Amino acid sequence: MTPATPSTRPALPGWLSRNLGPLGGLLALIAFPFVVAAQSGDSPVAVLTNESGNAKFYQGLFIEVFILAIYALSYDLVLGVTGLLSFGHALFFGMGAYATGILIKSFGWELGPTIVAVIGIGVTQALAVGVVLPRVKGVTFALVTLGMASVFHIVVQTHELSPWTGGDVGLQGLVPPAILNPNADRLRFYLVSLAVMVLAWLAYKRFVDSPTGRVCNAIRENEGRALMLGYNTFVFKLIALTIASVTAALAGSLHALYQPIVSPNVASLSFTVAALLMILMGGVGTLTGALFGALAYRLLAFFLDRWFGQIADVLLGVVYIALVLFVPYGIVGTWRRRRGRGA
Amino acid sequence: MPETIALETRRLRKQFGGLVAVDDVDLRVQAGSFHAIIGPNGAGKTTLFNLLSRTLDPTSGQIYFKGRDITRLPLHQTAHLGIGRSFQITNVFPNLSVLENVRLACQAVQPGSFRFWEDHRRLKAVLERAHAVLEQVGLAARAALPARALPQGDQRKLELGMILAPDPSLLLLDEPTAGMAGEQVPELMELIGAVQKRGGKTVVLVEHNMNVVMRASDVITVMHQGARLAEGTPTEITANPAVQSAYLGELYGDLGATQEDA
Ligand SMILES: Nc1ncnc2c1ncn2[C@@H]1O[C@H](COP(=O)(O)OP(=O)(O)OP(=O)(O)O)[C@@H](O)[C@H]1O
Ligand SMILES: [Mg+2]
Repeated sequence: MTPATPSTRPALPGWLSRNLGPLGGLLALIAFPFVVAAQSGDSPVAVLTNESGNAKFYQGLFIEVFILAIYALSYDLVLGVTGLLSFGHALFFGMGAYATGILIKSFGWELGPTIVAVIGIGVTQALAVGVVLPRVKGVTFALVTLGMASVFHIVVQTHELSPWTGGDVGLQGLVPPAILNPNADRLRFYLVSLAVMVLAWLAYKRFVDSPTGRVCNAIRENEGRALMLGYNTFVFKLIALTIASVTAALAGSLHALYQPIVSPNVASLSFTVAALLMILMGGVGTLTGALFGALAYRLLAFFLDRWFGQIADVLLGVVYIALVLFVPYGIVGTWRRRRGRGA
Repeated sequence: MPETIALETRRLRKQFGGLVAVDDVDLRVQAGSFHAIIGPNGAGKTTLFNLLSRTLDPTSGQIYFKGRDITRLPLHQTAHLGIGRSFQITNVFPNLSVLENVRLACQAVQPGSFRFWEDHRRLKAVLERAHAVLEQVGLAARAALPARALPQGDQRKLELGMILAPDPSLLLLDEPTAGMAGEQVPELMELIGAVQKRGGKTVVLVEHNMNVVMRASDVITVMHQGARLAEGTPTEITANPAVQSAYLGELYGDLGATQEDA
């Protein structure tokens, strides 16, 4: 990069050359549906006209990846960046999904007000969970959050609420609003969820490099010392939790709009574990790892299921264990270590 | 003259179950003085520091800082009053860089910690102060290393840097030279002395190295089994027979003479 060094590569503006990876990734993801169409012998125009086929199908798969990535990203802020062990993260996602479904289906709300309400719910639930933060630490916090998510998981399945929640079957029959309908215009939904993911990633990147995010990092490292330096760590943990909660709730919104059914399982422990697996595979605390982790998580499940059918679940378990054992720093963490940038 | 007393405790007590680690200690530290606390292992020095720095709640008694009762002050507010405390066992952010450790210590007492939309490097004053402190404690060349990668002696310098960074008026230093190579000790003590004199700061120091204590201190308090055994100038303390039997005797292995005859 020194000006004196003769370079065979065309000179790029510094900003561009520093961000080649993410920009390339973004362009590849935008081109992806068209490439799939071309590969399958369809005209790329079929993507624009929302025709059924491989392109539409793989867009659907990647919409799921993007939603999972946003969700995993939010968990990485809580666990990876701030060091809060929560076993109830799925609650944040589930709340967003159910709120979206109920407001649109049962109350006939428009998309805009619904999203505003979901953001409000995201803030409120973080504060509700956050009040216990000064009193419970470590594993106790994990159990308290698990308890809260379990209550939600049970309550949405109760008979009394089933007119709104669909009980144990799940919430179905949600007609997505015309401006964001994954069935009528898959490409738009694909691009919107991609945009939400990219914006969330950029915002999170900025946050961890902000004075506030740096304190969150310090709390993960040594909360006692952070307190002694003069930081009211409770407030910082609450901020991280609130940002993560709003993000996860928005991912839940997209999930409710995309999926034909919102299952109560979105608030289950196994869905929190899914977030944990994604950031473990991608690299805890790296943020970017959450995106790669979500990709690996969804594609592994998809292809193992396609190739091995019945025994896919067992294989998936084996793959997870192998990844965590042999790639302990995750995809992005290992990559950074190789390039000598440290963890 | 309460305004010349920087730190005062009244019948300060800490019990761990049946063990009285700090036994009704009355302590007065003159503002601007260099005050050493000595005593054998387990005398309660670190526990006293934990009480003074609000890391532990006392069982009973009061603590006053510049005349203000801080006995129940939340831990995170002590730094904002100008109290800095270093640890006998290095207590830093191991995976963060040396610079970041010190930078966080500066940021804590300056405005801007809630600018979550801005890059932390935009807090210029904080960053400059952090670099200046690293220069001061001799760690400038190691700024980018993760703290855990520092050798023991440099970890002690980092620990000190994190105390100096917010420019506190009271420094509570718990064996700052513990684990340092012998030849580095005078250098570090000189630095502490210089900072204290220049800033008119109050230093309370726990230290086992008698040479260091005798040379640097204005006042020495001797603790024994949680209680204040004696107090005076270095000369008075060396001449005190109770101290000799309780502390110096124990130091030199003459355990027969350590009964409480004070
Ligand atoms: N958290 C704790 N729980 C129970 N007992 C404790 C605790 N902290 C300290 N003690 C006990 O209190 C007594 C005083 O310990 P303290 O660490 O204050 O001594 P010290 O004077 O700092 O000793 P040293 O010179 O070895 O650092 C010791 O008997 C110790 O075992
Ligand atoms: Mg001690």
